[in-house]
Amino acid sequence: MKQFFDRLGKNEYYVAVFKNPFSYVTGAILLSILQIALFAYSGNPWGVSGTFANWGAWIFEAVGGNVDKWYYFSSPGAQATLEAGFLNHTGTMSNLGIIFGALFATLMASQFKIKKIKSVRQVVAAVLGGLLMGYGARLAYGCNIGAFYSGISSLSLSGWVFALSLLVGAFIGSKLLTKFFM
Amino acid sequence: MKEFVLDCMGEACPIPLVKAQKKMEEVETGDVVIVQCDHSCAMKNVPEWARNAGHNVEIDEVDDGEWEIIIEKSV
Repeated sequence: MKQFFDRLGKNEYYVAVFKNPFSYVTGAILLSILQIALFAYSGNPWGVSGTFANWGAWIFEAVGGNVDKWYYFSSPGAQATLEAGFLNHTGTMSNLGIIFGALFATLMASQFKIKKIKSVRQVVAAVLGGLLMGYGARLAYGCNIGAFYSGISSLSLSGWVFALSLLVGAFIGSKLLTKFFM
Repeated sequence: MKEFVLDCMGEACPIPLVKAQKKMEEVETGDVVIVQCDHSCAMKNVPEWARNAGHNVEIDEVDDGEWEIIIEKSV
C-alpha cells in the first residue's frame, strides 16, 4: 500500500491535477465554464452569500423562530424559496459543493491539516471580518461572487461599481492587516 | 552566511509574504531565510515573489500541509 502511494505521489498527472495549484488562467477558465453551466441549469447567476441568509432563516425556523414578517424575506420569491426547503435550493447545493470540494481537494493533495489558532487577535479579526462581510453583502445584495463576479459577467454596471468599492475596501483592509498583524 | 527562520505557522495571506519581504530586506546577500508556513497560498505567492526578485528558492514539504520555503538572498 505504501509503495502504491509513493508511486502515485510521483505520478506527473497526479501532481499536475491534485498536488500543484492550478495557474490563474486554468482557474479562470474552469470558473467561467462552471458558472455558465450553473446559470444554464438554475436560471440564476452564481452567488454565495445570499444562501447564508436563507440558512440563517432555516436555522431560526428550526428552533421555533419566524421570519415571515422580516422585510428581507417578505417577497413571494423569498418565501417560496424558504418554503421549498434546504434540499431544493440550488445555492445551498453549490455552497455545500464548495465546502466539500475544498475538503476533497485538500485531502487529494494530502495537505489536510487542522491549524492552530495563533492569537486572540486572529479570532477577533476573523469574527469581525465575517460579520462585516456578511452584513455588507446583504446591504449590497451580493458579495464578491453574486454582485461582483456575476454582476460583471452579466454586463451589469452595478458589478463595476461594486468592483470599485471592493478595491477601496481591500486597500483599507490590507493597511489594517499590516498594522495589526505584522 | 547566516540562516534565519521565519515562523509563519497559522498565519494567513498575505502575512507570510509581507514578513518574508521585510526579512529579505534586512539580511545580507548570501544569507538564507527559511519561511515555515501551513497556508497553501503562501506556498505559491512567497516563492513566486522571491523568484521574480531574483533569489534562489527551494520548497520543502515537511509534513502534510506544512512547508519550508528556503530563500537564499542572491541580489
